[in-house]
Amino acid sequence: MTRRLASLALLLATGAQAATAPELRFVGCPVYRNVDAGKKSGCWLVEDPASGIRYDVSTSPTKPDWNHAILVEARAAAIQQTQACGGAVLEPVRVSILPQECTRTMLPAEGYTGRKFALPRRNVRPLYEARQQPEAPFTPRTFVIPFDYGSDFVTYQLSDYYIDQAANYALDVQPARVNVIGHVASREDVVSGLRLREPPSLADARAKKIAEWMRLRGVPANRLHVSTTHPDTSSDDPAFDGLVQASRRRVVVQVTPMRSDRSANELP
Amino acid sequence: MSIATCYGRIALAATATTLAISLGAATTRPTPDRWWAPGDGRVFPASLDYPNEQGVLRAMLVGGPMETKGHPFFSPIGPAGRACVTCHQPADGMSLSAASAQQRWDAVGNKDPLFLAYDGSNCPTLPQADRASHSLLLDHGLIRIARPWPARDHAGKPIKVDFKLEVVRDPTGCNRDPQWGLASKRHQISVYRRPRPVANFKYIEAMGFSFDPKAGMALPLDPATGKPVSNNLMADGRVLSLESQMRDAAGTHLQFAQNMDKEDVRRILDFERRIYVAQQVSRVAGPLDADAAEGGPRKLAESKPGRLGSQGVAVWSEFEAWEKLSDAEKAKLPPTMRDFRASVARGARSFRERTFLISDSAGINSPIGFGNPVRNACAFCHNMSQMGMDVAPGQIDLGTTNKPFADPMPWLPLFRVTCLGAPHPHYGRVIYTSDPGYALTTGRCADVGRITLQSLRGLSARAPYFSNGSAKDLRGVIDFYDRRYDIGYSEQEKQDLVNLMSVL
Repeated sequence: MTRRLASLALLLATGAQAATAPELRFVGCPVYRNVDAGKKSGCWLVEDPASGIRYDVSTSPTKPDWNHAILVEARAAAIQQTQACGGAVLEPVRVSILPQECTRTMLPAEGYTGRKFALPRRNVRPLYEARQQPEAPFTPRTFVIPFDYGSDFVTYQLSDYYIDQAANYALDVQPARVNVIGHVASREDVVSGLRLREPPSLADARAKKIAEWMRLRGVPANRLHVSTTHPDTSSDDPAFDGLVQASRRRVVVQVTPMRSDRSANELP
Repeated sequence: MSIATCYGRIALAATATTLAISLGAATTRPTPDRWWAPGDGRVFPASLDYPNEQGVLRAMLVGGPMETKGHPFFSPIGPAGRACVTCHQPADGMSLSAASAQQRWDAVGNKDPLFLAYDGSNCPTLPQADRASHSLLLDHGLIRIARPWPARDHAGKPIKVDFKLEVVRDPTGCNRDPQWGLASKRHQISVYRRPRPVANFKYIEAMGFSFDPKAGMALPLDPATGKPVSNNLMADGRVLSLESQMRDAAGTHLQFAQNMDKEDVRRILDFERRIYVAQQVSRVAGPLDADAAEGGPRKLAESKPGRLGSQGVAVWSEFEAWEKLSDAEKAKLPPTMRDFRASVARGARSFRERTFLISDSAGINSPIGFGNPVRNACAFCHNMSQMGMDVAPGQIDLGTTNKPFADPMPWLPLFRVTCLGAPHPHYGRVIYTSDPGYALTTGRCADVGRITLQSLRGLSARAPYFSNGSAKDLRGVIDFYDRRYDIGYSEQEKQDLVNLMSVL
């Protein structure tokens, strides 16, 4: 009961301003709480060393590895459900796994419930499901692919969702040109005492990975144009859920259709 | 004849007799010879049953009987006298059981082309008439797989490798052999693996999604056709299509120096894509499609492949009907049959729902962001309806070949892998392994010990299990998982899962 009242108090304190809550960014060692509410129900907690607050980062697309430090980029959730895992809930939240080592730690459930798994809204649908094709007139479209810090790995149920959209559109409209532009967070930041700065070469690696994905999906290689940009900029694309710092790491895919006035079935 | 083999034959005969009594007409047909020798010239019927210790396996050939005389899958096409069927026996679920290998040795010794020096012995330079020279095949059902090292890509070009490989232990002598070893002109590493079943390929070739989430990349393209492939074919993903696999196998296992011609390829593909295998009858539960259950190969042949069980037909829901029998219907069943069916149904539910913490397994806990650890059940990876393999390409490191998780296997070689770039996400800089698996194809230390999941159908016909035969029976499979992930299965849960696997 005490815990529920505390949760309610936190909800009242934070709920109203959650949508405009300041962006949090810190590095810490993750702790796994061994709750069991079915598959993928475990809790991931991490303490911000600056404030001493323990946060719940379980809803991040990338989950932590208990052997490694994580970079957390997030805002406080509009609805606080601290009874789920025992930490102040961050949502939206992005976790990046860092090479720095941590001592693996697991807490017992201690009465916390965890969360029953629900399929995230950003999930790639299987090939055997019918896909709705775009209707003419086709327009140039831009797709933005997020990346975790220091990584060119395509994040499951986040980045793959946007690449899949980009590849499908490129195939549907037979593009004249696909620009694939890599970005990195090249400006040095000090976060929780750790210097963070992505190397410029990562922009190229990210862009090439996305271009290779598009090629394997069937987009002709001669339509793909890979480039990088070195100014460290942010994006307000919905893929980042308003997380400005996370948006610095991205690949932008610009698909320019061959012609805008023909349906997909009529194209050569 | 060894005592073990003799006992096995008695047990099998007893099983067949029990089945004949309990199943009546289901087994009144005479059982055809278990061993298909190359060039036998038999007709492969539309439905072919073989007894095993758990019941009866059925091989079903969609489209009707097929004459095997002159058929390239069944005919010796190289100088060694072997055919595809040598290592892909219908009675063994189109794989090869260690028991069958032992029976062949007892019958004709190394005169059977199964025991070909090249890969049917522990190393070609060993004295071939000695049983000990074939111990890995006879005792563990293992075939020698020679891979080029350093690794080459699918076109045969050297690829960049990010780890150093050294031989720590070499009980077969083949990895240090001057003709066949790593330092020989061949530059080969020898690992030892179970033959994978040649059946149910509709599922193995199916692409459920356009990408491989474990690799963070779209599905690979078959170099021959330029089309995407499932990448679920081989233990180490070394070939991407059935056609490439048969050419690879012909050049190695069959010692066939020439390329197979197009017609041979077409005929083999035709057979491989029509053959389905699954357990059809349980020794205790009876016909596996009785009382609205859907076991056996027919359901396999008729269902759509590549479907995710979590979003469609639940994995092993074939036996759900046995949970729903009314008390009156249950009362009509003999108690042993009723209890066994209930156990199978519980095992299926446990397979899907009994969660545990999965940790330090590349392909699950890295690089994909599921988390390390992640809570899930068997069906997390064994997620394909009807088959229990992975809808996505299924290269996973369970720890069956990597220390410290792998059980002691002094009969296998041991390699020390030193990562030259980033350390392995779970093992660190140095890894000890009896088979680097997928890393022999990709050249990446992060892939050491990752092995492609395979079909779970027809298991009762093809012990031992795991790619290196480290589980001698189905209980051994469950016990390994229980140790590896500290699951804490109860004795009842273990038996339920064993019973489930015995009827697949």
